[in-house]
Amino acid sequence: MRVLPVILLSLFSALLLSCDRRSSIAIATEDNILVIGNSNEPKGLDPHLVSGVLESNLIRALFEGLCVDNPSKDGVADKGVAKDWKHSEDYRVWTFYLNEKAKWSDGEPVTAHDFVFSYQRMLNPKLPSKYADMLYFIKGAEEYNKEKNPDPDSIGAKAIDDRTLELTLRGPIPFLPEITKHYTWYPVPRHIILKFSEGDPATPFTGWTKPGNIVSNGPFQLKDWKIKHYIEVERNPHYWDAGNVQLDGIRFLPISNSYTETRMFLDEQLHITYILPPEMIPYAKEHVPAMLRQEDYIGTRYLRINTRRQYLDNVKVRHALACAIDRAQICKSVRGGNEKPASGVVPPFAGYTVPPGASFDPERGRQLLAEAGYPNGEGLPEFKFLTTDRDVSRRMAEAYMAMWREHLNINVRIQQREWTTYLQDQYDGAYDLAGAGWIGDFLYPTTFLDMWTKDNGNNNTGWHSEDYEAKLKESENSIVPEEKLQLLQDAEKIFLADMPIIPVFWYTTNYLIRPEVEGWHPLQLNNHPYKNVSLKRN
Amino acid sequence: MSGNEIEERLEKGTSLWKDAWLRLRKNKMAMIGLWVVIFIFLTCFVFRWFLPQDPNAVALGNEFAPPSAQHWLGTDQLGRDMLTRILDGGQISLLVAIAATCLTVSIGIIYGGISGYVGGRVDGVMMRIVDGLLAMPFLIVVILFRELIEVRVDLIGKFLTSEWGWDKDFVRRFSNIIPLLLAIAAFGWLTMSRIVRTQTAALKRGEFAEAARSLGLSHFRILFRHILPNMLGPVIIYATLTIPSFILYEATLSFIGLGVEPPNSSWGVLIKEGANYLESNVSMLIFPAVVFSITLFAFNFLGDGLRDALDPKAAKD
Repeated sequence: MRVLPVILLSLFSALLLSCDRRSSIAIATEDNILVIGNSNEPKGLDPHLVSGVLESNLIRALFEGLCVDNPSKDGVADKGVAKDWKHSEDYRVWTFYLNEKAKWSDGEPVTAHDFVFSYQRMLNPKLPSKYADMLYFIKGAEEYNKEKNPDPDSIGAKAIDDRTLELTLRGPIPFLPEITKHYTWYPVPRHIILKFSEGDPATPFTGWTKPGNIVSNGPFQLKDWKIKHYIEVERNPHYWDAGNVQLDGIRFLPISNSYTETRMFLDEQLHITYILPPEMIPYAKEHVPAMLRQEDYIGTRYLRINTRRQYLDNVKVRHALACAIDRAQICKSVRGGNEKPASGVVPPFAGYTVPPGASFDPERGRQLLAEAGYPNGEGLPEFKFLTTDRDVSRRMAEAYMAMWREHLNINVRIQQREWTTYLQDQYDGAYDLAGAGWIGDFLYPTTFLDMWTKDNGNNNTGWHSEDYEAKLKESENSIVPEEKLQLLQDAEKIFLADMPIIPVFWYTTNYLIRPEVEGWHPLQLNNHPYKNVSLKRN
Repeated sequence: MSGNEIEERLEKGTSLWKDAWLRLRKNKMAMIGLWVVIFIFLTCFVFRWFLPQDPNAVALGNEFAPPSAQHWLGTDQLGRDMLTRILDGGQISLLVAIAATCLTVSIGIIYGGISGYVGGRVDGVMMRIVDGLLAMPFLIVVILFRELIEVRVDLIGKFLTSEWGWDKDFVRRFSNIIPLLLAIAAFGWLTMSRIVRTQTAALKRGEFAEAARSLGLSHFRILFRHILPNMLGPVIIYATLTIPSFILYEATLSFIGLGVEPPNSSWGVLIKEGANYLESNVSMLIFPAVVFSITLFAFNFLGDGLRDALDPKAAKD
């Protein structure tokens, strides 16, 4: 009777002992595969249809644009598909010379026609591309995308020959190489897309991005995609610079719970985490200080105000609300990740001085509120504060709520909503105040300023100003770099004077990285070129 | 022995309830459970009012303070007093559980009683409805239901504050749990109605029921005056055992973000937030989790003891 359990137990322990007892990260390092957390399952891999940061991490491994990020320097464009480029005196016409060795992963050459095809496809009004406005720098792009001009050949992207691409822009853009690093500017394989869409490139979701179908031109190609499990990429043998690619593969894990992700990292299952939640920063500082990275990031956390609402349409009320937020305290006590209190919407860029805007001044806040006709908050209703269902959003909302109550005697109600509802409510204008954030797409202040124009899908505040848009336009048409920045600064001044959003802090990236990973340097956009990353093996 | 004494003794005859109480008193675990339940209730609902701290008062700069004279259990991630947050959370959790139990018991008794007493085709239809409802995924239905009635509850809350001048925060805190409560109650009565129905179907054939019928009493009177009191035992047992499961439901809903509105607390919310600090500040998790577990254990032991006491035939020993 007693024998059976003993046998079972010994069998079980034999099974345990026979397992490979190296950690999964040791095995991955041995196989030269980088394992990184990527927060969630991507919405897709079609560069024209997605808009998230996590998709961009995958697309950057699979595809390559005209220029690529430098592994360690911000604002430097390295050679990608383009081996060289030149621009006209006024920065309006750019010519890119493509590398003859640039090939798709099926061996087909990457030509200038692929780029023209890509831009026409992305801008095609029939394709539901959320990020089409990233291409509006091209002359005629906006008109074609907004169906004002039906001719796709009217946009300023021309293939002079197979290897020469000429781009005509809507204004002088000296930082175009920076923009071409963004995945919306990447080429997509014309021959594959046309094969799967039966001739109409604007057919979305055709299955050309499925494993086995997808063809890409980046350092890696798609190997395996197990939904909710992992996405793995492997070396692309046809990549023009394949000799310099260090890794044999990258495995992206869709771990949506950041606490789970951090615990997996500490359990040696990941090389790099997507983020480190604020709650765990003190723990990481104490236990794995060498693996903790806290770096500057081009992103702003702010509170969006629905200026169409009664009371909130009063600029003094908006300024009063902004004065009551103790930014330094929030950065220190609620976030704890070295974030910096934000006075404006544009984070500090090289050469751009942030104009003075929001600051913590409860006395002035009370005074403004009295001037607006609501002394001590009397007469103001209870505002609703919309935020996401994440714990850190809740904590920040509770902190704002307490500050408004303490300093202005204004009450708010916190409404936590699931992500899609949260976005939709803002888009529909069904909110009073909302916690929000914006991460820059490229290293230039316009990535933070262009969205506050009239009818922009990311504005959602109901605020717009002709003066503001005139300044932006003027800046775009100027050729002198200093003047461009000065005009953008003027625009931000106009913006902050009306305070349609309340800046709170400038983001930093907080993540954990194992010491084996080399070639992963701090970058403001956090877009690390994977081809330069390597794993140190013993 | 004088005649008087004998008479007194005879008069003292024990009732069913007294018997049950004696049996319960012998059950040590059940008695501990009972005292713990009483203690938790007293601290949450009585002792709480003697504490001056405001559980929603944020004090940034004083996060994760260790226990002190001012904050007996320290402070949480926003510098709020942990003890009052746990006690206020307990008010919400216990209130939801008790009120939901009362509702489920009432609905269950009426529905199951009618079904069992009438019998026949009516019984068949009524019980198939219950079967159908039981087949629905509880959590999803609760979420939908909650979305559905939330707006209406908001209106009631507005009415209470503007028309009757009730304190806004107070109304907010409790009006907030009504959707949760109704949602739990709406689907919690099913098992209760099954139990009551089986009991009624068996009891209605008893001689006392026949006697009542022959006296010409109305069906209503027979059902609620003669049959129901006879099955209070199983009903009480089941009710005590559902309380902890409802506390757990509330915690589950709060844990997945569908519970009380911030900044208010409930045990589910506190445990959820505490779990994030498992590595860095484990006391955030320990304090609410311990109180929560003790309460669940106490209710379960008490329920177990009550079953043994009220229904000796079904007792394990």
